[in-house]
Amino acid sequence: MQVEEFLRSVTALPGLTGQEGQVAEYIAAAFRPYADEVKIDRCNNVIAHVKGDGPRLQFCAHLDEIGLMVSKIEEDGCLRLRNVGGVDPRIMPGMQVQVYGKRQLTGVIGAKAPHLLSQEEREQNYKREDLYVDLGMPAPQVRELVQVGDLVALEARYVNLQNGRIATKTADDRACVAILYRAMQLLRGMKHKADLYFVATCQEEIGSYGAAMTAFSIQPDYGIALDVCHAHTPGAPSWRTHELDALVASTGPFVHSMVRRKLMETAKQNNIQVQTAVVPRSTFTDADSMNIQRGGIPTALLELPLKYMHTAVEVLDMHTLEEGARLLAHFACAAELAWEDELWT
Amino acid sequence: MDLKTLTELNGISGDEGRVRRALMEAARPHCDEVSIDRSGNLICKKKGADPSLPEVLFAAHMDEVGFIIAGYTDDGLLRIRSVGGIDPRVIVSKWVLVGPDRLPGVIGAMAIHLQTMADRKKVLDYDGLYIDIGAKDKAEAEKLAPLGTYAAFDTAYTPFGEGMVIAKALDDRVGCYNLLRLLQGNYPCDITCCFVTQEEVGLRGSIGAAYGSQVEVALVFEGTAANDLGDVPESQRVCQVGYGVAVSFMDGASVGNRELFKLLPALAESAGIPCQIKQGVTGGNDAGSFQYGGDTGAGTARTMVLSVPCRYIHSGASVAALSDIDAQLHLAQEYLNNL
Repeated sequence: MQVEEFLRSVTALPGLTGQEGQVAEYIAAAFRPYADEVKIDRCNNVIAHVKGDGPRLQFCAHLDEIGLMVSKIEEDGCLRLRNVGGVDPRIMPGMQVQVYGKRQLTGVIGAKAPHLLSQEEREQNYKREDLYVDLGMPAPQVRELVQVGDLVALEARYVNLQNGRIATKTADDRACVAILYRAMQLLRGMKHKADLYFVATCQEEIGSYGAAMTAFSIQPDYGIALDVCHAHTPGAPSWRTHELDALVASTGPFVHSMVRRKLMETAKQNNIQVQTAVVPRSTFTDADSMNIQRGGIPTALLELPLKYMHTAVEVLDMHTLEEGARLLAHFACAAELAWEDELWT
Repeated sequence: MDLKTLTELNGISGDEGRVRRALMEAARPHCDEVSIDRSGNLICKKKGADPSLPEVLFAAHMDEVGFIIAGYTDDGLLRIRSVGGIDPRVIVSKWVLVGPDRLPGVIGAMAIHLQTMADRKKVLDYDGLYIDIGAKDKAEAEKLAPLGTYAAFDTAYTPFGEGMVIAKALDDRVGCYNLLRLLQGNYPCDITCCFVTQEEVGLRGSIGAAYGSQVEVALVFEGTAANDLGDVPESQRVCQVGYGVAVSFMDGASVGNRELFKLLPALAESAGIPCQIKQGVTGGNDAGSFQYGGDTGAGTARTMVLSVPCRYIHSGASVAALSDIDAQLHLAQEYLNNL
């Protein structure tokens, strides 16, 4: 399967943090032809093993996504919502959603119409508590089909924009899962000594728990966490955002400097452009928890720039995604046990 | 022509050509005379069986609210203004189609991670919103979407719930759809169906249609805001989706003719057509043009507005009940057959 087809399918699936079963099954099946062994652990981490006898590497990208849950069913059948992870309430009014009740139901997020609001109310954003899901059916039927706690996913669309740019939901972080997938494809035609684990992790959006679990169980020598970062958008501070059309590698105390240096050297040798982001503290990615597992697993962070992160229209550059896979594959081939001597210089 | 096709056509006020062409083609086989007037309105006439009866005019507007490209950022994003009233709060993170070639685009906004507390409170208005079509720079954006290019919500017609539908432009493609269906029937009197332009920017097209007509009775098919769910207090609920066609005693642009206001609900009741009285005077529509011609003195008809109640009108995902759409048509047919 072409990586674009994988990306299109995997971004369409619901996988709210804690309810990642369906997307984990899909990813495991897609990874299987390219790995010696693929398993899904108890918490929905997908672990693909490509065997080798060199250093053990773990590459991970999270498969869970931010989203919404039903928190209350009103008298008139409207559903109230709570978010899981950082959903921007500004994107919600007028958004279609899928409610995973007894069966899958289409709904629309509604709010009080602007002509019924005071001037003062119109000048403020709708808050989550002002919004509701309209399922277009009478209240008794809603109560029969839906219960509090049911998953609500944002509208999933995959749109090809100009210049190989894609707008889709859940590019955070399934686009990086697609990098893992594509790197596994590329590695079939390449020689590597390293013992490789490609891991799609669960529960990142609430604290990178899947990365901690898997780094503990796999116990790799080194790791690369893959996640998304911010591309330039109007109004955003330009020193915290990056060009859409090249990869980013963060530097700072939460990123291991030797692994990052090796990653940057590999990029240079293979003519892959990588931008640098400076992160003074937590990176809020799987890299943070991997670096402190099992007494310390030296881990670097490779990032794919996205516009409009945590909306339903996250925009990425397909060429950058491909470059990410190329870098990861070359890094896997470059890894040596001798790196151990350079760990702390 | 079905409602799906009609709502998925893009026809922002001032750019109704595609909708007009599609309607003209669909209406022609059922009409005695089809023409386009100087205001771009599509006028379809059909003879009745009894020439002694007065002609009845019907109107629905072809245009929908949308966007127009008004500038660019250096990195190739399209600056936009709304055409017609679209609350900027409902367009963040939505999909659009730009220009006649339907280039896909999205309305982005700065990620929540980068927003300050002040940003989170501030409403993104049209000076802060833009369409991203993936252009690399200003030159490419200008070439792909020159100034003045129109953009529309990209929404697939989606049945959902119990006999309901999500679509864009239900205001007023439901009216266009029903006028087409009306033209397929035969009636005692002559009828004229006007598919008018530019309702959303000030009832402009219908002024031309009123000028060109000499009718005694004009019935306007609309989609109207229902406000029947959620946190709307009882006093502001004007009609209910799923409870039938809404008849207006008055709105912001016209006063309903008293005889018609009494007659139509009575006809509906005796024929078993779901019908409700709109409990408020919000909004204004083309009935104003036919009643008094805007400020031109063109119209002099007795008017009545028959509305399909819609939720989330003027957003990319408006909602209506299919039974209400049918009720609008059936009540008009009942009226014609009882003249």
